[in-house]
Order: sequence, then C-alpha cells, then structure tokens
Amino acid sequence: MSSFMDRLRYWISAGRRPSLALSPSAVAIMSQQIASTQEVEYSCDDVYRLLDQFAEAVLRGEDAAPWVPLIRAHLERCPDCRAEFDALMRSLRVAET
Amino acid sequence: MERGIVPSRSRDNHEWLAALASSGETQEAALADLRAVLVSGLQRGLAAWIDPHSPQLETLVEEASQEALVRILGRLDTFEGRSRFTTWAYKVAIRIALTQLRRKQWKELSLEQMLEPRTGEGGEPSVIDPQAGPEAIVEQQDLLARISRILEEELTQRQLAVMTAVALRGVPMEALAQKMGIERNALYKMMHDARLKLKRRLAREGLKVEDVMATFEARNTAGGRVVRREGA
Repeated sequence: MSSFMDRLRYWISAGRRPSLALSPSAVAIMSQQIASTQEVEYSCDDVYRLLDQFAEAVLRGEDAAPWVPLIRAHLERCPDCRAEFDALMRSLRVAET
Repeated sequence: MERGIVPSRSRDNHEWLAALASSGETQEAALADLRAVLVSGLQRGLAAWIDPHSPQLETLVEEASQEALVRILGRLDTFEGRSRFTTWAYKVAIRIALTQLRRKQWKELSLEQMLEPRTGEGGEPSVIDPQAGPEAIVEQQDLLARISRILEEELTQRQLAVMTAVALRGVPMEALAQKMGIERNALYKMMHDARLKLKRRLAREGLKVEDVMATFEARNTAGGRVVRREGA
C-alpha cells in the first residue's frame, strides 16, 4: 500500500516539477556561488549603507576596516550592487582628476 | 550670489547640510549646485551602461537627478558624515538611475518570461568532452545527476528558477524583485538562504564544493560548452 502511495506521490510530484537538465557549465557556476557562501553575509541594504564610505576607502587605498571583506564578498556575488559600486567609482575617479 | 552662500567646490559636509536644510536663496543655490554635481556625476558614472551621447542618457540623468534631489532633501538626517556629502549624494542618485534603467530594460518581460530557461538552456546533452576519457565522463555524469537531484530536493521550483535566472542568464535582481513584488534586499536574502541550504546539504552528502567545481570547470568541459554526444 505504502509503495503504491509512494509511486502516486512520485508521479504527482514529477508532473509538477519537471526534471532538471543542468549543463556542466551551469553546475560549475552554481557550485562557485555555493562555495563562496558564508553563514553571515552582508545584504544589499548593508552594502548600500556603507558603499560611499567603502568607495572613498578604496580610492585612498585603505583596506583595514573590519567590514571591508564582507562588502567585497557581496560585490562578488551581487551584480546589481557591483554595478552601483562601479558607477560610483567612475563618478568619483573622474571627479578627482 | 547671496552673501554667505558657499560655492559647491568649497562646501564641506556641514555647509552642504546647513545650506540644504535652510530656506530661500541659500537653499535654492545649494540645490542648484547639488543638481549640477549629480548631473555631471551621473553622466560619468553611467557611461559604461548607456552611450554617453545618446538622448536616453540625458533623459535618465535628468530624471534620476531630480528624484535624487527630492530623496536627499527628505533624508538629510540619515547622512552620517562617514564620507563626503557629494559621495553620499552620488550613491543615492546612482541607485535611482540604475534601478530605473534596469526596470525599463526589462519592463516588457513578465516574471515567468524572466524565469523561464532560454531556448536550448538546460536541454543540452549532459555529456562532457569525450577527450576527458571514459572514466572522467562517467564520474562527471554521476556527479551531475547527483547535484541536479540535490538542487531539486532542497530548493523550491521558484528558488531554483530565480537562482538560475540571476546566475546563468544575468537577469538583474532589481528587475526580478520588482516583478516578484519584493525588495531587492529580500531577494538577496532568499538567495542566500538557498545557497546556505545547498552548502549544508552538500556537506552532509560528503561532497566538497571545490571538487564539484573542479570537475565541471571550463577546462574540463571543452571551454564550458557541453560537447554533443555522437549520434545523440
């Protein structure tokens, strides 16, 4: 009886969830993201709060603040925050010259 | 110029805050200066995303700088003085501009369209470069099946679709979050939870992420491309 129910559950769930067909390159990318995952990570809001201070620190060549690695790690993972950081640096670098 | 109004280049943080929080000509002059600062900053900052000579850039810069001025005026008390005031203002304006840009670029697509795999994506034959050798191919196929099973078991369909859309297809989280009716921050946290869950499951299964990566690294997979199985 239980095996019948198991089979039934399997077929129902199989109908709802098509089987994955990930390519090796897709698995590599996903694995890279999993490998860099930390228990504690800065969120987008955390990074945004410090982004101006971080950008100025980068321009001064300073790297000592304890939150710097957390921001760098987030920027590696989050393309949206990375784009904002890059744009901010462009604004500042040209403004400096 | 009204007596006592400080030109933008010589304003320090305190002077910016005082002028913007004041009224009348002093505030108007500071707003005009700040607007000019934001416009030139956005033009430089956004050059990597939009053609610097395009009318789209001009429109975006105009709209974003106006919105930024309103936001900055409303949030002066949140400036903590840990950077130059203009750097903080650039940050606010850039967030507004890039958010607008991403949403415009993706507005034609529904959430389901953003999440659905591209034609052929995931449907590639899961066979590695035959030159890797038969043992390596079997190992890679087994691992691929194992990882796929773990992903299926640990993540909801929606979580998996979101992760692959962002990681594999470069869908901006901002555009995705908007269509999902949540903040980008909440979407990031959702993805973090999913990655943590996967990391813990891989550890429980005795799989080292580094080994998985090494097995599927570009050099082992014909430059990241899947090689079609002969006769498939």
